Amino acid sequence: MTANLPKTDDRGAWIERVLATNLAEIRPAERDVLARLKELAYDDDHLFAVRLAFEEALVNAMKHGNQSDPNRSVRVRYRVSPECVEICVADEGPGFNPGAVPDPTANENLDKPCGRGIMLMRCYMDKVEFTPEGNEVLMVKNREP
Amino acid sequence: MKIQTTTEGECLVVAISGSADVNASAVLREALLSAIEAGSTRVVCDLGETDFIGSDALGVLITAYLKATGRGGFVKLANPQTHLTEVLETTRLNCLFDVYPDVPGALASV
Repeated sequence: MTANLPKTDDRGAWIERVLATNLAEIRPAERDVLARLKELAYDDDHLFAVRLAFEEALVNAMKHGNQSDPNRSVRVRYRVSPECVEICVADEGPGFNPGAVPDPTANENLDKPCGRGIMLMRCYMDKVEFTPEGNEVLMVKNREP
Repeated sequence: MKIQTTTEGECLVVAISGSADVNASAVLREALLSAIEAGSTRVVCDLGETDFIGSDALGVLITAYLKATGRGGFVKLANPQTHLTEVLETTRLNCLFDVYPDVPGALASV
């Protein structure tokens, strides 16, 4: 199942990229999205938040979703309007239950080196929704709080 | 990302400049863990010029912290700027690490 993205509307068309499962693909993808934010004069806080959430989503998709399998791809769709940034990241893995991920801010988990990606995505974006299968996530960051 | 290390007394100061993103975290891991394994277990990370950090690099800092404290040392964080301070607070890693407003403050705490 794929995220139920709205079609082209007054926020413009979605841009789609298919990335290989290779961490080196992340920086160019980030650069494309952040360039659109800069064109529309989003501030540094938005740039940082979107970069962080996008990177975490891509790392999750490549490492955990696609299990670093170079034969699998990550599909990215995004659009940036003056009002908000919308990013969808889908992997080809079996999915997971995001609700089952332990809270990394709990005292007993503070010294765990992993497990902060989803929490950071949720904290830095205004909306984070996974498909029921858990292998696709839609994130939205509004310009206004 | 660039890493510059200097020695201040018994402490190793590791200045991390630029973006500590997922592609840079392997370099950070090698720099920190190899130094600690070589005996530099008293480490201050200078984050004054770190403009980005992702969860992978946070994991490296935690691994370094565990390795250093396991050997009787420490990893302290100094000079995080606004966005990094926010990340440390959001993740509550400011409860795990000792965080100082500057490197001299971190060194003075030793």
